[in-house]
Amino acid sequence: METNEPVTRDEASAALASVRDSRRRVAWRGYPAWYWPATGAALGGLSLTIGLSGWRALAATVPVAAALVIIALAAGRARGVCEGWAGGAARQRERIVLYGPAALVILAGAIASKFASWPPVAAAVLLFVLFAGTGLTLSARAARR
Amino acid sequence: MTPPQHIAQAAQPAIADGFDELIHAPVRLRVCAALDTVREIEFGALLTLLDISKSALSKHLSALADAGYLTQRRAVRDTRQRVWLRLTPAGRSAYRGHVAALHRIVGGTDA
Repeated sequence: METNEPVTRDEASAALASVRDSRRRVAWRGYPAWYWPATGAALGGLSLTIGLSGWRALAATVPVAAALVIIALAAGRARGVCEGWAGGAARQRERIVLYGPAALVILAGAIASKFASWPPVAAAVLLFVLFAGTGLTLSARAARR
Repeated sequence: MTPPQHIAQAAQPAIADGFDELIHAPVRLRVCAALDTVREIEFGALLTLLDISKSALSKHLSALADAGYLTQRRAVRDTRQRVWLRLTPAGRSAYRGHVAALHRIVGGTDA
């Protein structure tokens, strides 16, 4: 399609649609099956550390955070995609859909544990289900397109 | 990876108001769109993501590399050699300029 003909509005629109499709594919396709449950489990573990205090919180948070980084790096290597430390293919709105509920659960769990007999494990399990479910859904939707 | 002078000149894209004929080819546009959002992508992964043939992808990657829009890095993993691709700053800038030009066309401010 190398041409000196002027590009029509429809052609430009179609080109922009293909740009969006490519971006979406890079953002959501090709994740190994273990990535979403593993990250969900690590985030669940992170929510459990919130109830701890002092050095125990630090001692528990560091390995969980390291696990999250290792999982992300391993997934990137398995996918053959290096997103870098900043940026990434996912749009802000997609990130909010993926991480927003998880962040809310962590926050709600932390607050509830102060005022009610809310077992921290409940928040961890809910977080795991929400994150793994959303990630798997987004990946499956991208694969169908 | 520096291409010979005559190849680089032949592959020099026509650029006007950000619209880039070289990038506008459908496969090359998709390749640039995929590479623009990340640091680098492995050749095999790009092949799967874009769902195109190996020879077609190689041809378009060569055109982009000849224009100085893309670099290739070879790395061995699991005893197999893999090629990692990334946009150069010039390639990223040309791609973004092209997308901006497409938006202007769609928006009716530039045809």
